[in-house]
Amino acid sequence: MTAVAAGRHRGVGGRLFASPSVRLVGKRLLMAVPITLGVSILTFWVLNLIPGNAAQQLLGADATPEQIRAMELQLGLDKPAPLRYLDWLGGAVTGDLGRSLVSGQSVAGQLGERLAVTGELVAMAFVVSLLLAVPVALLAAYHPNRFFDRLSMFVSVTGLSVANYVLALVLVLVFAVRFAVFPAIGFVPLSESVGGNLHSLVLPSAAIGIPMFCLYTRFLRGDLVDQMQGQDYVVTAQAKGVGPWQVLLRHAFRNSSFGLITVVGLNLSTLIGATVIIEQIFALPGLGQLMLQAINTRDMAVVQACVVVFAVVAVLANLLTDLLYAVLDPRIRYGSR
Amino acid sequence: MAVLLAAFLAIAACSGDPGASTGAAPADETSAASTPQKGGEITVLEDSAFAGSWPTGLDPATNTTGGANIAMMGAIYGGLFLLTANGDGGDAKVTPNQAESYELLDGGKTVKIKIRRGVTFSDGTPFDAEAVVFNLKRNLGATCTCTPKWPLVKDGIDVEGGDTVVLRFTRPYASVINAFPISNVNWIVSPTALKQLGDDKFRVTPVGAGPFTVVSNQLSSELVLERNAQYFKDGLPYLDKLTFKSIGGDQAAYQALLAGQAHAYEGMNTVPLMEQAQSGGRLTVTMQPPTSPYVVQLNSKATPFDDERARQAIYYATDFEAIAKGLFKDRFPVSQSFTAPGGLFHHDAVPGYRGHDLARAKQLVQELGGLNVELGTLGNYVAKQVMIALQTQWQEAGITTTIKDYQLSTLVQQFNSGKWHAMLQTAGAWDPAGGVGVAFRFASTSPFSGVADKALDDMFAEAEGTVDPAERDAIYTKAGQYISDKSYAPFGLAFAPTNLTAKGVHGPGLTTRIPPLVVNSGVLWDEVWRSQ
Repeated sequence: MTAVAAGRHRGVGGRLFASPSVRLVGKRLLMAVPITLGVSILTFWVLNLIPGNAAQQLLGADATPEQIRAMELQLGLDKPAPLRYLDWLGGAVTGDLGRSLVSGQSVAGQLGERLAVTGELVAMAFVVSLLLAVPVALLAAYHPNRFFDRLSMFVSVTGLSVANYVLALVLVLVFAVRFAVFPAIGFVPLSESVGGNLHSLVLPSAAIGIPMFCLYTRFLRGDLVDQMQGQDYVVTAQAKGVGPWQVLLRHAFRNSSFGLITVVGLNLSTLIGATVIIEQIFALPGLGQLMLQAINTRDMAVVQACVVVFAVVAVLANLLTDLLYAVLDPRIRYGSR
Repeated sequence: MAVLLAAFLAIAACSGDPGASTGAAPADETSAASTPQKGGEITVLEDSAFAGSWPTGLDPATNTTGGANIAMMGAIYGGLFLLTANGDGGDAKVTPNQAESYELLDGGKTVKIKIRRGVTFSDGTPFDAEAVVFNLKRNLGATCTCTPKWPLVKDGIDVEGGDTVVLRFTRPYASVINAFPISNVNWIVSPTALKQLGDDKFRVTPVGAGPFTVVSNQLSSELVLERNAQYFKDGLPYLDKLTFKSIGGDQAAYQALLAGQAHAYEGMNTVPLMEQAQSGGRLTVTMQPPTSPYVVQLNSKATPFDDERARQAIYYATDFEAIAKGLFKDRFPVSQSFTAPGGLFHHDAVPGYRGHDLARAKQLVQELGGLNVELGTLGNYVAKQVMIALQTQWQEAGITTTIKDYQLSTLVQQFNSGKWHAMLQTAGAWDPAGGVGVAFRFASTSPFSGVADKALDDMFAEAEGTVDPAERDAIYTKAGQYISDKSYAPFGLAFAPTNLTAKGVHGPGLTTRIPPLVVNSGVLWDEVWRSQ
């Protein structure tokens, strides 16, 4: 049978599975299983190493050993740790994330309620930071070491050197307390009001997004300047009479975006981590707030579920990064020979 | 960067209205002068590390953090009894609320509580003696530190005559009524609603007979309440809606109040922010009367403090007056016993109390051949400041001190191990026999005590069972003197947290002073109102 005939025989499904991109997605999704499993084991192990358990945390410093023992029995914490993990895992693989040790509520239900808040917060911070970083970096790289470039570098370094919880408090002081243009706390669901929703997320997403904007700007500007000053293809394009903006946008930016995508992909987990603190400061009922409360009360079921969600998001982000490489550079064909 | 931040903070610092009054304690005077207005809503912030955490829900029988959640519990359930006081926190007493009256009989071995007629739960079912007995039995089985340990005889809770609940104890237990507002037996749920909803749903949307009913409840995040149309007090509550929000600490809460996003914050303890709030004049600052002084617990059951000379050295090396003045500008009084000015049975001085005497401390340390101490605490702003000051003072006397700021779990482990040396904690309560009272830190049976002394145990038991307040006062005075004589633990600052409220918000316990029950005061939410 010829290769062509074999290709016809494979049909649409066969051709789909033969696609390098689909194979990449499949492989990465399969890899996500051991990664998620590893993360959940590690989380469970670390939480077990921390002194105290849910019973002790719930009852507080005034509880007697008898009260703590009674609570441990009530929560099933008297079982050996591996057995508790296997119980949890058994449920998780069938889609049952169990019930919170502390509140007795369905973990999946709690995640569902809060995932939207965190998702929206992260997305807004992410989009705004990128949308601002790219034009600023392009403008700075267009005339390196001139006023705008120096100003952008000053802002970037400043933003990078401030912790986002400090930035959050400063933003609230200025924009909520002093000028009263944005709310200091609270969240308006999208279903209630689109405008109100965006308004309520401006300061929290800025607190997360500004340091990211600074990082991306600094990184992209450096790479663009490097491309523009030293690369042969830039010189060739210039020799052909291509205008400086076109060289910057069509050639240098395209190459520099590889590095930017890598940084953005790697940075996503930092961004998710930032939500834990920012949601506390802005009283946002998101996943970060839920996870912090669960860690404080040693609510293993909820912490495990949150960590798994974060791990899956990180894996998917990296997968998306790899796929974007292929989109930007057709020469990259994962898994092709 | 520092310049930029300073500029931002300066802008914010200037944002106050310098002409406004500070509204500092004692209490908001306008609330007494103005007529309460009906309607409106307020948002109250609670620190996520304490009162803003209600992870197990708000059913008094399954909630494990009831002591911290008295604000929410009070708003939903009201309470059989309430702790009330006049505007400046004086004349504090436990008064019947959903209960109509009570009697102590048989020298305190029997208590009869008459339930107020005509009260209904917000679901329309009757709030009667049967419902109260059902709740008392249910709540006494709760795994919560807010569950009282009543010395009941078998089947010691009963209904009499349809409207009276009878409690029978194995020994005189005269302090039982004073302990009600601090414990879960005070909060009565609707048995019918509990049956209909089931335990899991009920803990999220509980039904009581308090001034407000639950609209929505996202655990440890946001609790939205609306006025209870069936509330038994005519014309109350004043507010239409009351929302509690959990927030990550004093700074964030303070800023949210300044931004007008919330109207009250309970339990501020960061002193610089309190001062800023007072000088800013945009908020009403109400410092509650202290009831629980800090105490340096010394573990007299293990070395080095099983030697009385070591304990005396700590007394002589400690100068709480200097700490109160130097660090806290005399904002908090200093106690010499387990009571404080806002609580019952307080006396300013204990005769023969060992005050600061550096020469004597040095001499004792020399006699002991040196003294190494590990001093721990469960950190908050005030505790950490005090601990560092103590380390410095003790160093002057030749005492080498290692300070440790424990997390809750490691603190409990330390106590349970019995190997700890010294702990900076708070001791006492409004009534020393109620809640986390004096016995918690000094009784032989408490795992959190550094003392095993039968004579002291007997005094506490006698005081707990004594009906006559004057006699109780005498017994507690004797116990305070005994602790001092034996150098069991030097007492210190009587700290009480502060409420911040937006201008125009008024209410007992919020803008007037009521002695704290556990950490925060029991706000009377039905009387909280807002100028329109």
